[in-house]
Amino acid sequence: MNTNTMSYKCKQFMMFAGLTTIAFVAVVIIPFIYGLYLTFTSWDGVSREKPFVALANYASTFADSAYWQAIGRTLIYSVIAVILVNVVAFTLAFLVTSGVKGQNFFRAGFFIPNLIGGIVLGYIWKFVFNRAFVAIGSAITSGTATSLLATTNGAMFCMIIVSVWQYAGYMMLIYVAGFMSVSADVLEAARIDGCTNMQSIIHISIPLMVSSFVQCLFLTVTRCFMVYDVNLSLTKGDPFGSSVMAAMHVYNQAFTYKNYGTGQAEAMVLFIICAVVGVLQVYIGKKAEVSA
Amino acid sequence: MRKKLLAVTLAMTMAASLAGCGDSGSGGGNSGSGGGGNSGSSGGKVSFTIFNSKSEIQEFLEEAVEKYCEENNVDIEVYYSQDTVAAHLSTKYASKEPYALSMTDAKDIYSLGVEYGYDMSGAKWIDDTDYEITVDGKVLGFPCAIEARGILYNAHAIKEVTGEDFDPDSIKTLDDFDKFCQKLVDAGMESPTAILKPDWSLGGHFLMQVYEERKDPEAFIQSLHKGEADLANDEKYNALMDTFDVLMKYNAFKSGPVSAEDEMVHQKMSEGEIAFQFGGCWEWNDLVDYDYTGDIGIMPVPQNLQDDYTGCLVGGGSKYFYIDNSEYTTDEQREAAMAFLEWFASSDDGKKLVSETCGIVSPFNSNTIECNNDLGKSVKKYVDEGKLIPNYDYAPDDHYAKNGATMQEYLAGQIDRAGLATKVEDYWKSTTPVEH
Repeated sequence: MNTNTMSYKCKQFMMFAGLTTIAFVAVVIIPFIYGLYLTFTSWDGVSREKPFVALANYASTFADSAYWQAIGRTLIYSVIAVILVNVVAFTLAFLVTSGVKGQNFFRAGFFIPNLIGGIVLGYIWKFVFNRAFVAIGSAITSGTATSLLATTNGAMFCMIIVSVWQYAGYMMLIYVAGFMSVSADVLEAARIDGCTNMQSIIHISIPLMVSSFVQCLFLTVTRCFMVYDVNLSLTKGDPFGSSVMAAMHVYNQAFTYKNYGTGQAEAMVLFIICAVVGVLQVYIGKKAEVSA
Repeated sequence: MRKKLLAVTLAMTMAASLAGCGDSGSGGGNSGSGGGGNSGSSGGKVSFTIFNSKSEIQEFLEEAVEKYCEENNVDIEVYYSQDTVAAHLSTKYASKEPYALSMTDAKDIYSLGVEYGYDMSGAKWIDDTDYEITVDGKVLGFPCAIEARGILYNAHAIKEVTGEDFDPDSIKTLDDFDKFCQKLVDAGMESPTAILKPDWSLGGHFLMQVYEERKDPEAFIQSLHKGEADLANDEKYNALMDTFDVLMKYNAFKSGPVSAEDEMVHQKMSEGEIAFQFGGCWEWNDLVDYDYTGDIGIMPVPQNLQDDYTGCLVGGGSKYFYIDNSEYTTDEQREAAMAFLEWFASSDDGKKLVSETCGIVSPFNSNTIECNNDLGKSVKKYVDEGKLIPNYDYAPDDHYAKNGATMQEYLAGQIDRAGLATKVEDYWKSTTPVEH
């Protein structure tokens, strides 16, 4: 049987990857191309007519100062949240792989916040910030404490806290896998050579688990850039629209303000930014990978 | 061979399911929240779908529709969605399964209805109301309710504190209001007012009164757009902002006005911890959720500027049905939807549903059934006396969000009145007023 013909290769491909390819094309590629087409129209989201407007939506996108403010805000939020999520996740992973009693229980406990949907999480924390913390603050200071959600920086701070709480447990699991993949022989050799615990983490474990860092950073970067659910339920963009993140701005533009074309163009620009950041980060991370 | 068979079967299943996604055939799904589509006729019955955007009446509407279906040999499904109305309807049109009858805000009738609305001219109910929406000679919007906004008051709480019956007509000016609030404070009510902080309340309702309470709102909007209007020195703007300042002065959430959740405001109002709140009659269902004291009403926003609008609430038709005119709805379904609207407006059961069960102020003159809630009764009094300033329904879709955020800044003390005026003027200069 000639296995080098195009028809044989096509059949093989369709046999093994046909279904997933069809699904991928149907739910990702086609909507993406259709979405791209919509960026060249002034469609309002409902109308039968989709007037072609060439690059006008991209011009509006670049002229939309609120959009760029939202992008800037998202960038700040993402940088801080990504660092904190990964630091906390790495620390937790270290603690729950160091042999403490009940470490499996702790692993499950830290992971649970990730199982709660973002919308529910936002409402729970809204209650905590607006009522619980205010009540505690008022009791301690014997005065009237204000909610963190009432100030511009406070709302951003709350968003970061909730994101860290939500994602740290999930990323912890990836770091746990990373820690466990480091061979005991190598660690033992390091100890025999006189490495302290800290030194063996810095010089042995971390270099050998770069792939975990790459995965965690990629996941947190993309999730933080696309954050919407927590943003909606926790702050809804308040106070004074100062916590509207990029995804929320895009949604509002497309559906609330009925500028679907502009919203779609803004989503496309956001996608490009995310893709560039994500790919760059993976590329740099992969170059740093080493093997024992 | 077995694997091949399995692969082919799976591929066919997937292809079928994909085809199903795009199918708008007559058997379209009719179950689940927000999942409905028009399904033509089944078993000799005409069947169609209704989209309701007033969450508080969903249960009542479903019950009434069930009875209506039994009596009229039709099959109707009522759906509700938490999503933004326009966003939800856009997905229904994209999937070629729009609702035959959709309840939207007035502004949506001007955007959606013009393209997809069925001309209801000639319907009997039109002669019975002043609130239908007509665009280019076509009657496109069926009014479901009259809603109005002003200052909500808790007369029970006031009597508890002062020992006197409260007469809203005694508050004629802002000075009267200020003095009365001070009197409540002196009598022991710590903070007599509260302000809802959402953008729809501040930007979509309070600020709107600056445009609405004048002879020609449209001309004023145009002058703002052209940059000719001087808001900072505008009499009406200053009169209303003076009132807003007094509301802020006695605000129960003064220490954190932009973090006060709606529920906290409603609880205080319902339980009589505060006496006044800017709001509207649609808040009734939110107010009765708590340990309601009874005797809540609505009165006009007091201002020192005495003009033609003094003593009036702002409001009008709110929530409109339109019938889908697209190819996805059949003539039979449109006729059935028209019959349902006629029933909703004119039948005894329909009138009872509106006024007694749902507690809505009916926009139809023939409905003389008393509204079952205090706020509705209060609004009806102003409607009957002709003291209702019409809503301005043509603000751009982003008006409430952007200017609501600016109003929040003012509420939080981040900007002053002149700064607020400048930001509102800048908004209008940068936007295009809606043509209508």
